[in-house]
Amino acid sequence: MSRLQAEHLYKVFGRRPDEAVTKLENGIDRDELRTDGTTAAVIDASFSVEPGQIFVVMGLSGSGKSTLLRMLNGLLDPTSGRVLFDGQDLTALSPQELRHVRSTKISMVFQHFALFPHRSVLENAGYGLEVQGVPRAEREKRAAEALELTGLGGWEASWPDELSGGMQQRVGLARALATDADLLLMDESFSALDPLIRRDMQDQLLQLQKRLKKTIVFITHDLNEAMRLGDRIAVMRDGEIVQLGSAEDILVTPANDYVASFTQDVDRSRVLTAGAIMADPETAFGVRTDGGKELRTAQQVLDAAPASVAESTPIIELFTPCSTSAIPVAVTDDTGKLVGVVPRARLLAVLGEPMTPSVPVDAPAGIAVSKATTGKAVASA
Amino acid sequence: MPRLPLGDWVDNAVDFLQNHLSWLFDAIGSVVSGMYDGINAVLSAPEPLLLAGILAVLAWWLRSLVAGVLTFGGFALIDSIELWDESMETLSLVLVATIIVLVISIPLGIWASRSKTVSSIVRPVLDLMQTMPAMVYLIPGVVFFGIGVVPGIIATIIFALPPGVRMTELGIRQVDEELVEAAEAFGTSPRNTLMRVQLPLALQTIMAGINQVIMLGLSMVVIAGMVGGGGLGGAVYRALGNIDIGLGFEAGLSVVILAVYLDRITGSLSLQVSPVGRRALAKAKELTGGLKIWNHRPQPVVAIAGVVVLALVAGGIGMFGGSSSGSTTADAKNVGQGKKISMGYIPWDEGIASTFLWKELLEQRGYEVDARQYEAGSLYTGQAAGQIDIQTDSWLPVTHATYWAKYKDKLEDMGAWYDKTSLEISVPSYVKGINSLADLKGKSSTFKGRIVGIEPSAGEMGLLKDKVLKAYGLDTEYKLIDGSTSGMLAELKRAYAKKEPIAVVLWSPHWAYNDYDLTKLADPKKAFGAESDGVHTLARKGFSADNPQVATWLKDFSMTEKQLTSLEAKIQVTGKDKEQEAVRAWLKENPGVADKWTPVAPSGKPGKAASGKDERERPLQVAWFPWEEDIAATYLWKAVLEERGYTMNLKQFEVGPMYAAMARGQIDVQFDGWLPNTQKRYWDKYHESLHNLGSWYGPTSLEIAVPSYVKGVDSLDDLKGREDEFKGRIVGIEAGTETMNILKDKVLPEYGLDKSYQVVDSSTPSMLAELKRAYAKKEPVAVMLWTPHWAYSEYELTKLKDPKKAFGEGDRLTTVTNKAFPENYPQLTKWFKDFKLSEQQLAGLENEIQKRGTGHEEEAVKAWMADNPGIADTMAPQ
Repeated sequence: MSRLQAEHLYKVFGRRPDEAVTKLENGIDRDELRTDGTTAAVIDASFSVEPGQIFVVMGLSGSGKSTLLRMLNGLLDPTSGRVLFDGQDLTALSPQELRHVRSTKISMVFQHFALFPHRSVLENAGYGLEVQGVPRAEREKRAAEALELTGLGGWEASWPDELSGGMQQRVGLARALATDADLLLMDESFSALDPLIRRDMQDQLLQLQKRLKKTIVFITHDLNEAMRLGDRIAVMRDGEIVQLGSAEDILVTPANDYVASFTQDVDRSRVLTAGAIMADPETAFGVRTDGGKELRTAQQVLDAAPASVAESTPIIELFTPCSTSAIPVAVTDDTGKLVGVVPRARLLAVLGEPMTPSVPVDAPAGIAVSKATTGKAVASA
Repeated sequence: MPRLPLGDWVDNAVDFLQNHLSWLFDAIGSVVSGMYDGINAVLSAPEPLLLAGILAVLAWWLRSLVAGVLTFGGFALIDSIELWDESMETLSLVLVATIIVLVISIPLGIWASRSKTVSSIVRPVLDLMQTMPAMVYLIPGVVFFGIGVVPGIIATIIFALPPGVRMTELGIRQVDEELVEAAEAFGTSPRNTLMRVQLPLALQTIMAGINQVIMLGLSMVVIAGMVGGGGLGGAVYRALGNIDIGLGFEAGLSVVILAVYLDRITGSLSLQVSPVGRRALAKAKELTGGLKIWNHRPQPVVAIAGVVVLALVAGGIGMFGGSSSGSTTADAKNVGQGKKISMGYIPWDEGIASTFLWKELLEQRGYEVDARQYEAGSLYTGQAAGQIDIQTDSWLPVTHATYWAKYKDKLEDMGAWYDKTSLEISVPSYVKGINSLADLKGKSSTFKGRIVGIEPSAGEMGLLKDKVLKAYGLDTEYKLIDGSTSGMLAELKRAYAKKEPIAVVLWSPHWAYNDYDLTKLADPKKAFGAESDGVHTLARKGFSADNPQVATWLKDFSMTEKQLTSLEAKIQVTGKDKEQEAVRAWLKENPGVADKWTPVAPSGKPGKAASGKDERERPLQVAWFPWEEDIAATYLWKAVLEERGYTMNLKQFEVGPMYAAMARGQIDVQFDGWLPNTQKRYWDKYHESLHNLGSWYGPTSLEIAVPSYVKGVDSLDDLKGREDEFKGRIVGIEAGTETMNILKDKVLPEYGLDKSYQVVDSSTPSMLAELKRAYAKKEPVAVMLWTPHWAYSEYELTKLKDPKKAFGEGDRLTTVTNKAFPENYPQLTKWFKDFKLSEQQLAGLENEIQKRGTGHEEEAVKAWMADNPGIADTMAPQ
């Protein structure tokens, strides 16, 4: 079962929101609504998040992603639609029940940290526990553990204004982790940090996630961040989710020009993985080694390949091996079995312009082209 | 454009409120004045310098050593210019107002911060409250709450409320929304969000609001002086009325010292109490580093310890001072010099009470008193033989008639000290519908057919059986139960506790009336006898000659029923053989009665108020206006009446508030009623609540006067066309006085001067100052004056003739009192009615006062009285 499920969420600000939802359902344009002074912040958002997944909502400011996030823990009441958390409809809960869910099962990390300036680091980290009514001793123990987890051990007695931005956000993270909530909502949590620190925090989040296996909904306007962190990504524009898929899906097959224009600046070499661009192992059969030996079996490919990588390896790591040999790089699964190969030409081809969205997802045009040309390139070499 | 009667509507609304909600205003008034009295008692208890020390330690703790030293210096200065009491009154006033403002404004501010609707309703109301001239609040304040501190505090509260509300709202609204959202995201309830996040973070702003509240309160407090708020405001107002620059400066400076102190202390306090402020302080400390002596501040614990020690010392000195002064007065009152007096008493409650009361009183006055209990017969016999000096429990003329007839030649009757004795049957008040003996008829089932009696031998029991019950036809219905006094009282107590109906045989005075709520059944048929006894004091023959002082005291002695029954009740609860202890405790609870019953200073014949008390016991509240004839008359009476043992509290007033206050009974008397014309308006409005004791001077006249060096101006007509010479001005007195209204509305139009001359509103002292200045420079000046006035003897002035009689008939100076005055002060009423001053006397007195200057009125009066021997006896014949 999905941990979190959003079903046709609408959020409309302004007068007569219910009427506006009906109009939107009938296909009226968002801009037309705005002339009445009604703003549709989120329009018909549906998605589900599996346990242990990082679900990223990506969009520019004003795209409705923060509003969407706040509906997930009931800070905002959806105008229409439902939010199911572990099968429980949050929109049907009373304020008290909702507060109980928020204090125990859903926690949140904020863009500007939102640390309480009148509480020490330890008191901040223990805030959620305090709300739950956990006794002081246990609260402090668990808060200290959470701080240790985020690398802030030893700073318990400090005050928020004594910490750097990155450290403050670690406190924010520790505060969210301390309650042992299953679901973490992160609202542009790293956007206010320096690029270097942001990278650090992303790495740390990924590492923590390996250990803790939380379910995370992460909001960002930075596609690189989205691609780095997201198991699944929802791209939002003008209140609507325009594409929902994995990083590769979005990069390789953007749903429309808007998404495509987004992906232009993405460092593909770091986002695309060997598994995403690899060709079938058979395409390497017939290639000859420097010694003139023709490769005929998977084992021969594996032996001759300049490197063997996992499917999740970013392609940037393939350039060096590819440059040293004409033999394709081998891609193996966990058991070491050959699942695909990445020839040099293919590697170069995917760095080019994104593929046009008109091509069906299961047969990307670019890849088809590269498939066709592989043999020739190899032959001419 | 039709005149919109807006003011009338407000008037009517206020009238309505006053008529229908006076209980509410009274309740508010008593709460506010109770708080004020409490805080003021605390602040004025310690020695000034000690309190200055306490305040200094606070400043040291909250700010710095320098601040502490300056604080001490500032408050010591206030003490040295003798404005300490006033300053503490002002401080109390501000504190009370601030506390009430906070209680109202913080919840209101919180509410406004959470609801846009509330905020948008509250905001314009606050704007109105803040921009309405503050003095306007005094008017309804006086109407609703009378004069004194209460209307001052109420006006201060209204005036100082807005910043409290605003800053609370602002403080909460400006807390970072992300923080509030964070709190909500972790499931914090709205209440806890407020308490744990919003309020702590808003505290600094709220404290800034409190600071503003206090500052506004201080500025308003000065205005409150106009309605008798007292304190520094009163001093400032007095200084203004008398153009007393010195006093004005001193009082103003004291206000400044208070203001600076309160401002800095609340400022620092906001840093100390708000978590954000503490963080800022800690950071600043890290920056400056190192401990410098200037920056050294005592730790909170040390500071609190310091304050406590100083406060304890203060308390200790207070007690020590109290006890030492007590012993010195005792010495001064040692009239008896150890002389022995013997008393005898019958063991009746009122006999025990009065005997031990006098034993204690006389011992306080230095006599040695021996009190013994006797049976009635032997008491009279012993006294007739000269062995017993006094007894205080002789029921005459009825009960003890036989003894009196037998021994009267050997006894002296010192008169009755209690004359409302009666015999009766009483029932608890919770038994409804039984008010008279006649009501008992047909109710025997309610009372189980019983009337609980006392000893069968008692005269009252005989009377009941033989006469009273029969007279009301109760003898068949009820059984009179024989018993004892103590048994009857025990039965009464038991029934009373269970709220059972009971009828008991009782008599007045009795402590049971003090302890229980009982109805004395009326005796319309006078079956208990038409004549009632008085409780007399008897002395042996020759006692008065031997002890004239004690004899005088005993003759003047009287007790009210309340006093007597409360004393009896006290003795009853204290227990047997501790009578004198009970008397002491009772005297402590009734301060002043000892001095009243056994006055040490020789005094004249006391007047008795209707309540039976000496009227001198009640301080006389006298209002005065800063007009010369009134200063003269008021201070003259002050001198005379203080010689006669009265206490007078003088209060300066504006005419309007004075009449309002007098009508409410807050002022007893004023001597400067210009009636029937000038103050007609007030008299017409309030005359039902006032008394006119007649005129002591007259006739007066109102006029415009010019210096004689201005030639050719003898009549009002002559002013016409000479406006350039007088700069088009006629210097007036207080705006709103009837005199000024007559001048503006009647006199000037009558003579066609209203276009060319402008009447300048000012005050009497300012007008006189202007006259003095112009006179010295020989400049032409026209002033509003009246006869009698010392200015006529000081300067050569021409009273401008009023051929058209525009000023109307002359007034007479009249003594005006409140309604209850003749009852409260029968003696004074007589003296005031007979009071007269001749023009020569008044002018002489005014001149004397003028010569000696403000603040020396009393010595001027003394000097004048020395020049006019016998005046005191004429005014207040003994």
